[in-house]
Amino acid sequence: MTDLSKKALLPTGLRDVLPPDAAVEARAMETLVASFAAHGYERVAPPLVEFEESLLGGAGAGVANTTFRIMDPVSQRMMGVRPDMTLQVARIARTRLADVPRPLRLCYGGQVLRVLGSQLRPEREFAQAGVELIGSDSENADLEVVLLAIESLESVGVPNLSIDLNLPTVVPAVCENLGLDLTRGAPVRNHLDHKDATAIAGLGGEAAKVLGALLDAAGPAERALELLQKIKLPKPAAEERARLTGLVERLRAAAPDIGLTVDPVENRSFEYHSGLSFTFFALDVRGALGRGGRYSAGNGETATGFTLFLDRVLRALPPATQERRLYLPFATPAGEGVRLRKEGWVTVAALEKDKDPEAEARRLGCTHLYRSGDVVAVKAK
Amino acid sequence: MAKEKKIVLALPKGRIREEAVPLLARLGVEPEAAFRDPDTRQLRFTTSDPVLDLIQVRSFDTATFVAFGAAQIGIVGNDVLMEFDYSEIYSPLDLGIGHCRLVVAEPEALGTQDNPARWSNVRVATKYPSLTRRHFAARGVQAECIKLNGAMELAPSMGLCERIVDLVATGRTLRENGLVEVEKIADITSRLAVNRTALKTRSREITAWMDRFRETVDATVA
Repeated sequence: MTDLSKKALLPTGLRDVLPPDAAVEARAMETLVASFAAHGYERVAPPLVEFEESLLGGAGAGVANTTFRIMDPVSQRMMGVRPDMTLQVARIARTRLADVPRPLRLCYGGQVLRVLGSQLRPEREFAQAGVELIGSDSENADLEVVLLAIESLESVGVPNLSIDLNLPTVVPAVCENLGLDLTRGAPVRNHLDHKDATAIAGLGGEAAKVLGALLDAAGPAERALELLQKIKLPKPAAEERARLTGLVERLRAAAPDIGLTVDPVENRSFEYHSGLSFTFFALDVRGALGRGGRYSAGNGETATGFTLFLDRVLRALPPATQERRLYLPFATPAGEGVRLRKEGWVTVAALEKDKDPEAEARRLGCTHLYRSGDVVAVKAK
Repeated sequence: MAKEKKIVLALPKGRIREEAVPLLARLGVEPEAAFRDPDTRQLRFTTSDPVLDLIQVRSFDTATFVAFGAAQIGIVGNDVLMEFDYSEIYSPLDLGIGHCRLVVAEPEALGTQDNPARWSNVRVATKYPSLTRRHFAARGVQAECIKLNGAMELAPSMGLCERIVDLVATGRTLRENGLVEVEKIADITSRLAVNRTALKTRSREITAWMDRFRETVDATVA
């Protein structure tokens, strides 16, 4: 115990973020939220912890198994630590902001905590930033949030973005038609999640044909749409397909450089989504940068939005360049410091008199040195 | 979007390699000469296709390399896919090579007097602890797994456990060690495994490779 605490071991999936990464993350968060705000999305900040039944009620049931629970000693009720912020924002919209005119545009940024990381993403605590557009079922709303996601990711400098468009309701509609069990852990669900075409073919009959065709359709958007058109789908699924086709056309026109793929069987991480959804990827970054889509915000309202995972977004960025820091030797006039900071310098002031200011500047990781009115670069040793 | 970036294919050593190399040849992919040199220490090889490189790893590691995106595609037995159950791997194609089956086996004598319906807890030696646990859990039996990396067939006779879960091709090793197959868990073949992110971000290239593999496999079957 004492030995571990001396060595600062943290629980699995939790970490200290050190310089310069912590500053980079904070700046990325600010930039993202600023681009949301510029499009009229107003920021809300829900609490870290709330009562279990409001956090996990309704659409929240899908995230119940990733939520930390604690007992509230005051009310003696169970509370949950948020595993995701979307549902909290939906709750705010449904309750306290119920009488604000629709469509309602809200954004947020904050930390979330999950009971388990995944094999590929051990982080249990990470920052999310996102927007919710509540009370509009319009296709223009879908387009607005996808374009906003692209714009905000590009504003922090994510290169080679690509978007996977998903229809999480199509497979359930098809399976209901065929009388197939699709609950979590059901074989069909697993086969589809792993795109195991062999096992799907093994189902035989109509199921193998339709599900096999859906699996096969996953890929570049134009090819996928062409293949999807040929599949006979039940009515609600066919409507979703039409919506997707419209969105692809308009996205192509509005953002021609973005990679677009379609995956009609993707279901992962759409725990509460109920319509056209999307996942953001960047070339060579393991796993998704974020995801979003349509969901039910309660009170019969439909909403769409997206969530970005800051840890993944940062992984997509080029490495941070070294910050320029200016060393102010002992007894540098205070006014000079003020002037230089106004010019954009980060200053590090000496606390004591030193013999060789340049050596001291180098020791403290400063790139520049103040010397009698001038700023000079610190020579490398 | 992506400039001429390499696609890396993870290839398992051993049994599957012998069948995978002819398959690649039918695809028009010939590995560089060093690949066939048994003394080479090289682990990554170029091929006749300028965008495709091969890496050679242990069969259990093929899935891991693909799951983490270190290799974009791989040839992976579905025994390995089932054991790791990586959410980041798609297996869109059965390559029709590496045929065998994954079975539960036990000593002949035990088989005659045993009633599986009464099991509550079994001790099993296996290379596949996670898959074995899931298999027995699905029928309400708790499996205490002993992870071994080889010579599984020895375990029951040495008193390490009563049963084993292992791959069987002909059944000869089982017979020679006095074991009988009591249950088949799955038929095993090698699959084309694809990294999920690669399929989304390098969709065109990866889909083209998938089509190429599919055409070759279909032509072989026909």
